[in-house]
Amino acid sequence: MKAKELKFEDSKKGDSAFFEVIVSESDVQNFAELSGDFNPLHNDEVYAKGTEFGKRIVHGMFLCSLVSRFVGMELPGKKALLMKEMLEFKKPAYIGDTLIVKGIVVHKSEATRILEILIEIRTKKELLASGSVHVRVLF
Amino acid sequence: MEKFNEIACEMFNLSPKEIKDSLTPKDVPDWDSMNYLLFISSLEKHFNVSFTMDEVLNAQSLGDVRFVLKAKWIT
Repeated sequence: MKAKELKFEDSKKGDSAFFEVIVSESDVQNFAELSGDFNPLHNDEVYAKGTEFGKRIVHGMFLCSLVSRFVGMELPGKKALLMKEMLEFKKPAYIGDTLIVKGIVVHKSEATRILEILIEIRTKKELLASGSVHVRVLF
Repeated sequence: MEKFNEIACEMFNLSPKEIKDSLTPKDVPDWDSMNYLLFISSLEKHFNVSFTMDEVLNAQSLGDVRFVLKAKWIT
C-alpha cells in the first residue's frame, strides 16, 4: 500500500478524500493486543451480550487509528505530520461494519503549513464519529 | 482581543489570569514549537487573516503575536 502525496502548495480548502474498510474480528483482536485494552466490551461476547449494546463493540481508538491512516495515506498522505486529533464518538461500531472514513480541508495556513481537516466516520446508514485533525505538511 | 486570550489559554493550557504580553516559551511549559504553530493556525482561522512565515518566526512573545494581529487591524 503506497501513500498518496499531496504537496502543500497544491492543497486547498475543500480538498477531500475517503476510504472504506470492513472491520474484522482480527482487527479487534489485533487492536486489543497492540493497545493492551482487553476490556470485555470488546473481547467477551457473553459479557457484551448483557450490556446495552447486545454484542461486542469496536474500540473507539481503533476508529482514531483509521484517522491516522486517512492523513498518512490519503490526505495529505506521505508528507503528513499529525499534530492534533479530536474525535467525538456518537454511535458504536461493530465487527463486520463497513466504515467510510472521509475528510475535507476547511482551513489552510500558509505560514505554518498546517491543514485543518474535518473528519467523519460513518456507515452507509449513520454517523459514528466526527471531529477534526490538524496536519502539518512536511517539505 | 478577548478571543485571542481565549485561544492562547486553550493552546498553552493557561488560566486567563496568567495571560500577559511578556509571556515567552520559557515561561509556558506547553508552549512548544508544535503548539505554537497550532496557535497561529487557530488565530488565522478565527480572525480570518494570514500570517507570513517571517511573522511566525520573528514573534518572541505573546505580545509580539498580538502586535502582528493588531497590525492587521484585528482589535
